[in-house]
Amino acid sequence: MQKYRKLQIILAGFFAVLFMRFYYLQIYQHQEYEAKAGSNSVRKISLHAPRGIIYDRNGIPLVDNRQIYDLSVIPFDATDQYNYSILSNVTGLSTIELRSDIIRRKKSFHRFRPVTIKRHIDFETRSRLEENKLDLPGTIFSEFPARTYPNVARLTHVLGYLRIVKESLSSQTEKDLDYKLGDVFGFSGIEKMYENFLRGKDGTEFRLVDIYGIDHGIYPENPGTQSIPGNALQLSIDSKLQSLIEKLFVDKKGAVICMLPKSGEIAAYVSAPDYSLNSFAGPVPIDLWQDWNSDPEKPLLNRVIQGLYPPGSTFKLIGAALAFENNIVNKHWSVYCDGVYRLGDRDFRCWNTAGHGEVNMETALQQSCNIYFYHLMQKLSFDDWKEMAENFGFGSVTGVDLIGEKKGNIPGRSYLNEKYGRWGWATGNLLTFIIGQGDVLTTPIQIVQMMNIIATRGYTYSPHLVLNEPSKKVNLSLKSSTWDFLQKATWQVVNHKDGTGKIAKVAGAEVHGKTGTAQNPHGEDHSWFTGYLVQDGIPVLSAAVLVEHGGKGSVEAALISHEIFKYAQENFPF
Amino acid sequence: MKYLNMLRKTFLFNYTVNKLFQPPYKINIRWGIILPVIFLMGISFITLKHTSADMSFFSSTFIKQFIWFGLGCMVFIAAQWLRIQFFHEYAYHLYGLLILLIGITYFMPAIGGSQRWLLLGPFSFQPSEIGKLFLVFAIARVLADQSGNMNEIKIIFIVLVIAAIPSLLVFKQPDFGTAIVYGFIVFPMLYWSGVRSFYLFSLLAPVISIISAFNLSIFSAWMGILIIIIYFSQPKIITGAVHFLVNIGCGVLSPFIWNNLLFHHQKERILTLLNPMRDPQGAGYQVIQSIIAVGSGGLWGKGVGEGTQTQLRYLPVRDTDFIISVIGEELGLLGITIILIAFFIMLYWITTYAGIISNRFSSLTLIGFASIIFIHLIVNFGMTVGLLPVTGLPAPFLSYGGSFLLSCMFILALSNNIINHHI
Repeated sequence: MQKYRKLQIILAGFFAVLFMRFYYLQIYQHQEYEAKAGSNSVRKISLHAPRGIIYDRNGIPLVDNRQIYDLSVIPFDATDQYNYSILSNVTGLSTIELRSDIIRRKKSFHRFRPVTIKRHIDFETRSRLEENKLDLPGTIFSEFPARTYPNVARLTHVLGYLRIVKESLSSQTEKDLDYKLGDVFGFSGIEKMYENFLRGKDGTEFRLVDIYGIDHGIYPENPGTQSIPGNALQLSIDSKLQSLIEKLFVDKKGAVICMLPKSGEIAAYVSAPDYSLNSFAGPVPIDLWQDWNSDPEKPLLNRVIQGLYPPGSTFKLIGAALAFENNIVNKHWSVYCDGVYRLGDRDFRCWNTAGHGEVNMETALQQSCNIYFYHLMQKLSFDDWKEMAENFGFGSVTGVDLIGEKKGNIPGRSYLNEKYGRWGWATGNLLTFIIGQGDVLTTPIQIVQMMNIIATRGYTYSPHLVLNEPSKKVNLSLKSSTWDFLQKATWQVVNHKDGTGKIAKVAGAEVHGKTGTAQNPHGEDHSWFTGYLVQDGIPVLSAAVLVEHGGKGSVEAALISHEIFKYAQENFPF
Repeated sequence: MKYLNMLRKTFLFNYTVNKLFQPPYKINIRWGIILPVIFLMGISFITLKHTSADMSFFSSTFIKQFIWFGLGCMVFIAAQWLRIQFFHEYAYHLYGLLILLIGITYFMPAIGGSQRWLLLGPFSFQPSEIGKLFLVFAIARVLADQSGNMNEIKIIFIVLVIAAIPSLLVFKQPDFGTAIVYGFIVFPMLYWSGVRSFYLFSLLAPVISIISAFNLSIFSAWMGILIIIIYFSQPKIITGAVHFLVNIGCGVLSPFIWNNLLFHHQKERILTLLNPMRDPQGAGYQVIQSIIAVGSGGLWGKGVGEGTQTQLRYLPVRDTDFIISVIGEELGLLGITIILIAFFIMLYWITTYAGIISNRFSSLTLIGFASIIFIHLIVNFGMTVGLLPVTGLPAPFLSYGGSFLLSCMFILALSNNIINHHI
């Protein structure tokens, strides 16, 4: 064979090797590399679905969505003319730091990739920056969904707030809802309770992105999915009543809950002090949350359902109901109150140290005489009393649609045996229970529910915040005469000239109520008032007001209740 | 005009012109060589048109390459008037000039970390580029001037030294790719000159021994093959034994040197050069993106201008070193196959003519030229598909780059000239 033929055969051999390599990559491994090329350049973009808007009972928005923005700069586009001081003014970061950071990144491979300068800036800040757009080349804003609270009513503890999904939290959130890092979720209040309902379904979009992160439009092969907005939610809250009460509660601590007794709808809900949902853009920053958490005023405590207070004299209604229901005493059975009751070697005092004189059940409730109930408790069965309190909903959660409700405590024999030992407690303890002191602990929502039961003669619903949401029926059947008595006695508390709750009286309106003073070891007594308003024979609004350290005599709480019922008298139906 | 006429009449002028130029004996276009070039240039232009779509028209690589190609065509025609004997006669002078110019580059400022260029005011010139041709002339002359009864070992030694000097010089610039070209063209030319294959084999065997020494079973198998080849080549006993021992020695020493004498970072550099995948974010990045581009192209390709790897810039240096990846992605295996065929046809005809031409110098020069094109092609394609290390050699007629295109055109022009001169 000639030499050049041999050379050509060797040549052909090399070409064949090359061809085989190309064949191997382009035919045999084609699919693998096609997928790799796809994942190189196709980016899945999540389209945020807006959360559902929350309205009050009249369709006035309480929680709405707004866009907040993450401010980023593309280093490559930031020219020498870039005005760092504008950025510095707005973001509070130092000019020198910003400049050196951007200049350093201009030289890096990722100079086309946006650098996040500040997260969660609001629309106003963005607008201020946009005005100076020419001085800020390469500045971009990416949208981020956040909540806004357009109403004057704060309703902090009902609405709750959102948090951002971090790696550490993703295990806690429900898997089937498919949260991604950076998503927001309801962390408290209604936002948490109705998370599934409020949360929309995020859409996806596939976009072509080059190596520098520059967008080249939608990927034509896969159009992605549209986002589905979350459902709107209508609360039973009346925002006007709510803001009225919030104004009355400025600088006070305590809780208020107003309900419609016939339906169990909650019309107002205040826990003070609260925290500002508007004080941050976007999800709650952890450090702010920790500040609230360590605040001695406990702004995070949802006092309406989590605050445990002795009910004070409001609880006398339970003893009275039991006495009438079981025919222990009649209307005329009376006791002489000289301000003190001696049991063994202990003195039990009436709040009125001068004494009430001769009192029967009616006057005892009306003037809130302790001595009468000390005598009465001697005649009652402790077990029956506990059962009656539980019938009125005490010692268990009311089932309101919020998370974290407390049960409170109605002491029974086993509780006392455990706490004080089998022989460590005696009738003396029981005397404090019937006037709502000692180991009796209740939440404001339980107190208002007691009023609802009295107002509706035992036919009401468990409290709920969302309008038209089916809620549990509450049914307590007592004798008609018992209901009659309780309603009459509560009316007299407000309307009789000697009634302890006459401050709450509203001219021309039928207001029932009961005052209470809860002793507490931390300072001034807590002031209670709970009652309801009747129009045309129908109970239309109930309320429980607790003012922490409001002092004796229920003045503070009764004053607020007066304003509530006055408003209700003028504005019902809401 | 007057001075020009005076100049014309001077002896030196006449002498130089007569040495360098002569009227062509005939002007034939050897289509077997030229048609593939036209085809390859066409593919190159289509590709560059789309990779430079975002540049302004007159600064785009497409237009620049087009202008260079026009220039190349003029060079091609002009080169038909060149006198081939000049290159034979002055081969050593040109070689000396080459060494001198490469030497001067050491005193030039570095551009991009290497000193390859001669800077003359606004112009820059890379002597090692045209040096590829000068080296071919020098080697061809050494081999052509020997009579039949030459001492083969002595000739091989001389040729190796001639190639090694510029090769080491450019290696130090550093320009690894050109050094490889200089080193490689020796082998086909030696083979062509009639050196026994066994000697060529002896030159390459130690390299294989060193590489295979890192795996005992591969090394054993290689030793077996070595013995068989030595046996059938029937050298003198002593030559065969020395041969065998040298290879054993290389095999034993190289792991020792690797383990005991090289620093960690030196090993890393060598390993990364041999296998870029070791460093996927750095050296391997280009190769990985290139392989993805080629592999995702499939049989038919994604269509011109449709390659995501290319158009979204995942592929680096897509106009120059990795233009084959672009073609692989956008035109698929079909495009690659046609390109390989085109190259094969070109090289087939050059070697065929070399086989027919009886003039040793001309014939050897043709083989040297074919070798230059071939080694660029193999190294560039091999690097694109991850078979060979990334060395930065462009693909002939495809990659963007003016001076390299001019060199390639000049090589073909001289080939055409030589063939016309003899046939």
